[in-house]
Parts: sequence; structure tokens; C-alpha cells
Amino acid sequence: MNLRVVGANLVVSIKSFYRDKTVVFFRIAFPVILILVFGTIFMERDNEIFDLDVQDLDQTKSSARIAEAIGVSGRFKITQVAPALNAAQYAKDNKRNLVLIIPKGAEESLGRRMGLDDPHASVTLMEIHDPSSFGVTTKMQVLNLVLAGINQEMSGKPPFLKSAETSILAKKYRFIEFFVPGIIAMAVMTASLLGAVNVNAELRQKGVLRKLSTTPITRTDWILANILYQFILAVLSTTVMLLVSYGVFHISLEINAWLPVFVALAVFAFVGLGMVLTRVAKEAESAAAAADALMFPMMFLSGTFFPVEMMPEFLQKFAKVLPLYYVNEGLRASMVSGDNMAALRYAAVIGIFAAAVFVLGILITTLGEEAT
Amino acid sequence: MTKEAEYAIEVERLTKRYGALLAVNDISFTVRKGEVFAFLGANGAGKTTTVEIIETIRPPTSGKVSLLGMDVTKRKRDILPRIGVLPQGFSSFDRITVRETLQYYSRLFCCRNTDVDGLIELVKLKDKAQEPYKNLSGGLRQRLGIAIALVNDPEVVFLDEPTTGLDPRARREVWNVLLGLKNKGKTVFLTTHYMEEAELLADRVAIIAKGKIIAMDSPAALIEGNANYLVLTLQSGDEKVFEIVRKMRCEPAYDSHGNIKVRLENTDDVQKILNAVKEGGGSFLGLDVRKPNLEGVFLKLTGGTLREDPPGEKGAG
Repeated sequence: MNLRVVGANLVVSIKSFYRDKTVVFFRIAFPVILILVFGTIFMERDNEIFDLDVQDLDQTKSSARIAEAIGVSGRFKITQVAPALNAAQYAKDNKRNLVLIIPKGAEESLGRRMGLDDPHASVTLMEIHDPSSFGVTTKMQVLNLVLAGINQEMSGKPPFLKSAETSILAKKYRFIEFFVPGIIAMAVMTASLLGAVNVNAELRQKGVLRKLSTTPITRTDWILANILYQFILAVLSTTVMLLVSYGVFHISLEINAWLPVFVALAVFAFVGLGMVLTRVAKEAESAAAAADALMFPMMFLSGTFFPVEMMPEFLQKFAKVLPLYYVNEGLRASMVSGDNMAALRYAAVIGIFAAAVFVLGILITTLGEEAT
Repeated sequence: MTKEAEYAIEVERLTKRYGALLAVNDISFTVRKGEVFAFLGANGAGKTTTVEIIETIRPPTSGKVSLLGMDVTKRKRDILPRIGVLPQGFSSFDRITVRETLQYYSRLFCCRNTDVDGLIELVKLKDKAQEPYKNLSGGLRQRLGIAIALVNDPEVVFLDEPTTGLDPRARREVWNVLLGLKNKGKTVFLTTHYMEEAELLADRVAIIAKGKIIAMDSPAALIEGNANYLVLTLQSGDEKVFEIVRKMRCEPAYDSHGNIKVRLENTDDVQKILNAVKEGGGSFLGLDVRKPNLEGVFLKLTGGTLREDPPGEKGAG
């Protein structure tokens, strides 16, 4: 290995990078945009207040108090629907996914129940909903919980079964704190894999690698220069992502030595994988397609956007053969749980994978068209 | 003088096969130090395969190739710092300037004293020194490629089709740069399919066809040995002139411009034809008498033509 040669390649790669504004955008700004968009969406969901349309057909004091009690729970912002309207048509016309109807006779039923004339008297609140709407199920579950609470209160007795929450984590974490490590892992993976594949396939196709094969640069120099370049960009990109996350969402993550370790291992693993793909696919287009075919399953099945535990069991098993899973879990173990032993286990797995593809990359990469 | 000192390149019974295709067929030649040696052949003749084997990029199937006295299959690491290569279809990093590109390649060769400004001057790119590679025209790119091939002050320079695809003006600009190299006494191995290029630049030319060297000598000697006749061109569409020449058993022919061309053995025949035309009452607007050039030699030896690649294609060999 010749450090002067590695350094020369590094300088050329970095100059090529910052002179290409499109690459700068996708490498630095795009992951930040993802964090801002998803962070905003899920921050809202952590303390979400749902819109709820209520049609009071009874138009009595008691029915008004039922609607008021739902609003007081703090989970719903109530909008009144005129009794004369058809609730289903109203939902369709106004794109509402849930309309709650308080039926006529609600006050009378309440009177009979309270006066003990009829201890079994009840009121059925109709929930007109759009099952095709994303999130309506959650909204209905929350509404039913609120209604259960109102029923409990109306009974005048304290609940028998109560629950108390204790987190296994030292601090209270929000969704964004689980999300940011996943996005860091995904950004490092896509940039390293695509960066290695695109740059190398393009240089091979244009004949630049053939020219390089007539110089003293070795395959090890070339791959190391690629890895170092991707590592520098990954550190830059990760720093920007963390700064934005701290600045905008005030995240609370543990930043320790594991972060650069996982970023470095991920760069080694995915640049190495990219080198292997470039050699196997040869043409720039087929190499990029092969990279996409590997990247997309990893992105969606490795627990970047949602926990692996939410997936069917066979997909959970599949996720565990994907290298990105170990980067995601490792980063979360170190940044969220502060579990060093778990981080070490995940680092060992991704480290072995990185070493294997790095060695394979060196063995099969040729700068010229044919090895001598 | 030892053999190693005398020859920069020695190729002995070199053969290269790609599966069933025999790209280079048992060829042998030597290139002296300080010599400009041209490999002349049509696309797919085996030029690039041969030069890439000598450059250590490809392994030979059989035969022995020595470069600066070293076996190319065994001493690649020792050879590469001592040679400069302009590969066929040369390309570089799009967003890196001319100066930065030369500095980059200089660092790859670990040269601490490369005269980057001198190289830029040599290939006449001073005005373009700060231009990124992607902004350069084809001719400027080739000149940059030649400069890159010289960053390590190589003992042998390989130029694989340095002017293919360039317009005539750009081609002449590259030729001027190559003439400068020749004057500096560099050993240059040039592959080309342009006769004029080989004739202008090379001390010796090897004509290769179907993987075999079919002739090898200086351009003048090749012409002398293989085309010792004259071609008389009469600018005339007069059928009477054609008939007069035909009756002299000189086998005239019309060329694509309608001129009459006659192949003659010596200069006396020219005078005889002109006298006969004058006495027969024929007329012509002008005349031209030439010895055939390298193209004539090539056509005679190969029975084929040299053509440029169609756009988007590269010669196989």
C-alpha cells in the first residue's frame, strides 16, 4: 500500500464530489430532508390530537356533555356536524375518516340508567368510518379507550385493574430517537454502495481504470482510497444529520465511540460489496440495477423505518441475513439503549461481513480489463 | 553495446488467443531505443492486443515479450514506472482540471519533480490548464492524454491510436506534439490506421493484418520495395486521350473525379504518353506524377483498405 497514491486518489475523489452539486445534494441534503419529513410526521404522532366529527342527533344537555367529555380527554378536537345531514355522505364529501353519531334518545336512556329504572339501559354511539383511510383504526382504538374511560367514570367506582409503565431504557425516548440511527445507517449504506458502484462502473466504462492499470497504483490502493473517501463523506453526512436532529427535534441520543466504529464498518462493508458488484456486473447500468436490487430490500426489511418485530416471522428471519440490520441494531444498541455488549455483538457480525467483502473485492477487482 | 541497451522492446513469437479467435499470430519484432515504431493495421488486425500485452495489461497466450530488458509477464511493477501509456479511447476524471489531472498522475508515479507547467506547454494546453476535463474537445483531451503519458519521464511511450476520431485540424495538432516527442529522442510505440500518420512520424513501420506482421521497414523502404512505380493522373474527361493511352497498352482507368490514371514503370513513360496525346490531338487541363504512398503499399500487401471505426465502435485489436 502506498499512502501517497491513496492520498492522490482521495484528493481527486473529494474535488470531484464538491464540484458536482447534484451529488452533494443527494449525499448531504437528502438524508437530512428524510429526517425532517419523517421526524415531523412521527413527532406529531407521539402527541397526536385527532380530528373527530360528532353528529348529535339528540340535541340535549346530556348528549352535549358526552361530546364535551370526549373533547376533554385531550385526544380529540371535536367538530359538530349538523343533525340534518347524512353522516356517511358528509364523511365522503368532506373526506372525513370517522364521524361519531350520538343517537336520538341518548338523554332519555341516560335518565333511565341513572334513575335505576333500567340498570341495563345503554346508548349505542355509531362510528361511521372509512376503512381505506390510513390511521383510522388507531383513531377508533383511541376513541374506544376514551369512551371506556368515560363509562368507568360514570360508574362512580375506581377501576379494579390498573397498569403502570416502566421503560427498560434509562430515559424516555420518542420515535425520532429510534428513527435517526436507522436513517444514519441507511444513508451510509446507500451512499457507500451506490457511490462505489456508480463511480467504478463509470470509470471502467470510460476507460479511466484501464489507464490507471498502466500506472503503479495497486488494487489495494484503489479500494482503500474508495473506502477512505466514502468514510469521510459518511462522517460529514452523519454529523449534519445529527446536528439537524439535535437542532430541530432536540433529540437525546448517546454519542460515543460506537458511532464512528459502526459508520466505518458500514462503509467498509458496503464499499466492498459495491466493488464486488462492479466487477461482477461490468456494465454501469447492470451494476446500478444490481445495487438497487440489494439496497431496497435492505432499506425496508432491516428495521430502518419500522421495527423488524412488526414484520411476519419469515421476514424477521430474512432481515437477520441482511448486513444493514446489524448496522441498524448496533447503532440503536449504542445510541439509544446504551447496551455495549449488544453493540459489540452487532459490530462483530458486520465486521466479519466487511472483512469478507473487502478481501473478496481486492481479489476480484482489476483495474485493466484482464489481469496479467 | 549490449542487447538490452540497444532494444527497448523485444517481441518473440507472440501469440494471443481469445477462445477460438486468434488475435495475434506468432509475431516477432524489436524496437530500438530512441526509435518511433508504428504498428499499422486495420481495425481488428491485432494492434491494440499486441500493444496491451507489451504494456503488461494483458497476458500473452504464448511467446516472449521483453520491455527494457524485463519480461512483461513477470516484472510489471518494475516496468510500469518506466513507461508512459496513452490507451485507446483515453478518458479522465470529468471535473478535474488539466493541471490537477497531471498532478494526480504525477503523484501516482510518486514523481516529486514532474514539470507540470513544462508538460502543459509541450502539449500546448496552457490556455486550458484550469479547464475541467469534461470541457475539453477531443483533440485537447488526446493532447492531455499524451501529457499524462509523459508525467513520469518514461523511457518508452505507447500511443494507441492517438488521433482516431479527431478532425483533420485536431489530428495535425496532435501530430505536432508527437513530432516534438520524436525530436526529444523518446522511444515511441505508435499504433494507427492512418497511413499519413505512420509515414510522417515513424522511423519504422510494421504492417499487421489478421494478427500477422506482413511487412516491416522504414516508410521509404516499404514504398521503395513494394511500390516501385509511378502514377500519372491526367485531368481530362476526353475519351480521345483515354483511347490514345489505352492503345499504348498502359491500362488507363478513370478515378472517382473522372480523371485518367495510368500506372507507369518509369519517368520516360510519362514523356511518351504526353507526346502521344499531343500528336493524337488530345487535351487535358493538368497532370500529376507521384510515387505511391504507404497506402499503396498497404493496399498491395493486404488487398484491403484502412477505415475509421463507425461512431461508437472500437476496433477489436
